[in-house]
Amino acid sequence: MSFIVRQISRTADGREIIRPRTFTQKEIVIGREADCDIHLPDLAVDLRHGAIREVAPGRIEVAAISGLPIDINGRSTPGETIDVTRGANIRIGSHLLTVSAGEGEDQGNTVISVERVGALSEASEIRDEQRAFSLAGVAPGRRRMAWILGLLVLALFLAWPIWSFATNQYAEAGERRPVAFHADEMWSSGKLSLAHANLENNCQACHVKPGEAVRDESCAACHSTLHDHADPQRLAAAMPAKGAGAKFQLATAGMFGIPEGRCVDCHTEHEGAKAMPVTEQRFCSDCHNGMDKRLTDTAVLNASDFEKDHPQFRPAVMTSAGSRPIVQRLSLDARPLEDHGLKFPHDMHLSTTNGVARMAQTMKVEYGFGDSLVCADCHVPDASGARFAKVTMEQNCQMCHSLAFDRVGDTVRTLRHGDPKQVVADLRAFYRSTGPVQPINLGGQARRRPGDAMLVRTSAAFNIAAANRPGRADQAIRAVFSQGGACFDCHTVTQPSAPGAVDWGVVPVRLPERYMQKGWFDHKSHETEACESCHVAKSSGTSADVLLPKIESCRTCHGGERTAKSVPSSCAMCHDYHMDGLAPLMVRNMRDKGQRASRYGAQTESRVTGRN
Amino acid sequence: MATRGVRQLAVEGGSKHEGFLRYAGYRWLKIALLLSFTAILIYAFHDARPRPNGGSWYGYLLGTIGAGLILWLTMLGVRKRTMTPGRWSLKAWTSAHVYLGLSLIIVATLHTGFQFGWNVHTLAYVLMMLVILSGIYGIGVYSALPRVLSNNRGETTQMQMLDNLRQLDRQLHEAAQPLDQRHAEIVRMSLDDDPFGGGLIARLTGRYPKCGTRAAQAAIRAETGDRPAIGQDALERIDVLLERKEAALARVRQHLRLKALLEIWLYVHVPLTFALIAALFAHIFSVFFYW
Repeated sequence: MSFIVRQISRTADGREIIRPRTFTQKEIVIGREADCDIHLPDLAVDLRHGAIREVAPGRIEVAAISGLPIDINGRSTPGETIDVTRGANIRIGSHLLTVSAGEGEDQGNTVISVERVGALSEASEIRDEQRAFSLAGVAPGRRRMAWILGLLVLALFLAWPIWSFATNQYAEAGERRPVAFHADEMWSSGKLSLAHANLENNCQACHVKPGEAVRDESCAACHSTLHDHADPQRLAAAMPAKGAGAKFQLATAGMFGIPEGRCVDCHTEHEGAKAMPVTEQRFCSDCHNGMDKRLTDTAVLNASDFEKDHPQFRPAVMTSAGSRPIVQRLSLDARPLEDHGLKFPHDMHLSTTNGVARMAQTMKVEYGFGDSLVCADCHVPDASGARFAKVTMEQNCQMCHSLAFDRVGDTVRTLRHGDPKQVVADLRAFYRSTGPVQPINLGGQARRRPGDAMLVRTSAAFNIAAANRPGRADQAIRAVFSQGGACFDCHTVTQPSAPGAVDWGVVPVRLPERYMQKGWFDHKSHETEACESCHVAKSSGTSADVLLPKIESCRTCHGGERTAKSVPSSCAMCHDYHMDGLAPLMVRNMRDKGQRASRYGAQTESRVTGRN
Repeated sequence: MATRGVRQLAVEGGSKHEGFLRYAGYRWLKIALLLSFTAILIYAFHDARPRPNGGSWYGYLLGTIGAGLILWLTMLGVRKRTMTPGRWSLKAWTSAHVYLGLSLIIVATLHTGFQFGWNVHTLAYVLMMLVILSGIYGIGVYSALPRVLSNNRGETTQMQMLDNLRQLDRQLHEAAQPLDQRHAEIVRMSLDDDPFGGGLIARLTGRYPKCGTRAAQAAIRAETGDRPAIGQDALERIDVLLERKEAALARVRQHLRLKALLEIWLYVHVPLTFALIAALFAHIFSVFFYW
């Protein structure tokens, strides 16, 4: 048996050139060295790499010489015996040696085909030039990346939120969704206002139906006590004719099923985690500007801007006290006169030089007065700070205006305030239970001798006085209720029903608690101002004066929504659209803890830092 | 390319190439500037209350324009695959693509009303800005790098550079035939090193710390360093060949780096565009879903 080695090489056009060599010896050597039987010019092949020898007929052994293993049929091995008829593939370096049994005239011999299968170097591999020199080989494909990123975004920001929406069983049940992250929050265009912060993770509280703009019912679900501004028909009538732009906007909104005049038109949300923005002036002024032209029977005067277009204040003034008091809204320009039943000249009480001031000085220790009376001595803010507690006789007047009429031991007896009948009865009782002072010359046990004329006269006078004493009560009662009397000084007294009768009466005092029923004024927000800067009480000689400041006084600081004045004031500062007894939203916002300082600047520096 | 362009060149009498940036006397730049200034002007006088946002009528208008622009700009990818001459030449499209794409910065930013947050809406905006920024980078490198690329290449083509390497490899292979296995392995480090390997970072930086040729040369020099150069040593010849290969590699690698810098923006621009379109869809969908 001999080895037939066929060296296969290829021409440039791929044609095979086979150079056969026959070796008759038992063993042939494979290696890079030129004198090897099978010469492999391959740097991965050792100079003398391995040997092939016949071990039995039809069986050859392939063995490594240099110690580098040989790859036989895909297995790396130092040596192996091969059945020639079954053949084998031997890989050494970049060369492939195919062992097969000879056929035809080569019958009985072992044929070894040698061919280079690997490239000489990496650079020698055949390449697509475009691909090799571009980034395509080393960067992830653009198309693939586009798909991956696109689908990722759709999955995270579209599918996930929809899934979160679809699996919200709380909305169905009308319950509040528990506080946790829900994917549809990623759709929120901004934080909710502080008032609605608890709805932050509960989109469906307002966005009930997909594709349907927020409806008023969602608001009313919680805000159940809010009422409308006015009769809807009158509201519609008050609205100005729409321009082309507004009509187009409305038509477009209508196309998408958005009704007109929703709550959210004024109460915008998702504006950040702060107090809900106050309704803007334009939402009021679009109707109230020139409204009398459209709503001809309205009693409401036109207004569109506090600074430029706002009527004079028209406080609710009581023009007639009594059992059927008359209250009228009168413009301050008309210099209305008030009659609330009380006589109280402010000028006298605030004087620094008269008897009132002197009296206050004597009561400094007991009542904390200063050298004269000041506003705050009587006017004490109520709990809200917005207005003042009611002035009462007991709290604010009685320390000076005493109703004492008798003294029993240490106890001073006073007339009952607020109850004229009781006053009459008390005075009568006083004169009935006490006799006139007995003259000292009328000794109790002295015998009266005839001819003691003077004594007799005195006795007779005393007897008459004693007999007539109860009748003196009428006189005292009359005095109390008449000019110079305790009641008359401060109150409007009604005359007795008939001459000589004593059913005097006092018109009940009804001090107004709130002049501006349709607006709101917050005294606490103005505590940096002195009372006198708005209220001209010091020169008011009669309580008929309405001491409210006119709008011009307010306008020294307050302007419209957009103004150069120091305090821009939109309608919502004083008025509420959904009017109730509470302060308007803006006032409430400003009075929120920590809000005032941020709006009006910090308190004076020295107070904060305690600088000496 | 465009017949119109050719005619203009003739009128101007210059041989200067009219690129897409200066197409038709900066027509699209002017249109884009007009669009931007109009948008800013209306924004300045538009009284959106309580503050500007995408939900006002002007916000919706800008949003519609912006979304339309984005989709149209994306169509360049389709348009560039079908070549037509004339007014709507690819050059015109590219010019419009660049300038209108830049005006999108104004249109979309005004659409946001400068309200940003961690939500799908800002995501769409950020993706759009990234796409635009990568586009600006692309214009930058297109105008600066081709000259550098050409200088580096000299008069050779890419295939010539590659053939040069192959030639050197063959010579190395040849020269290494008589070497023992240990030295043959050293030469193989250089032969088996892929000049196109090294990954994206290596391509962009031009730094190949695991370069086989350099390692092979270092190993050879460690062998021959203390021997006198007598000119007969096969290793000396290998050393010379390795040095030549390294010089050839340096030029190829610089070429690859410049090409990578030229191409890399598209690997941001295109995939992010599709991420943007997905985010844009989610943005619009969510706005109308939770209206």
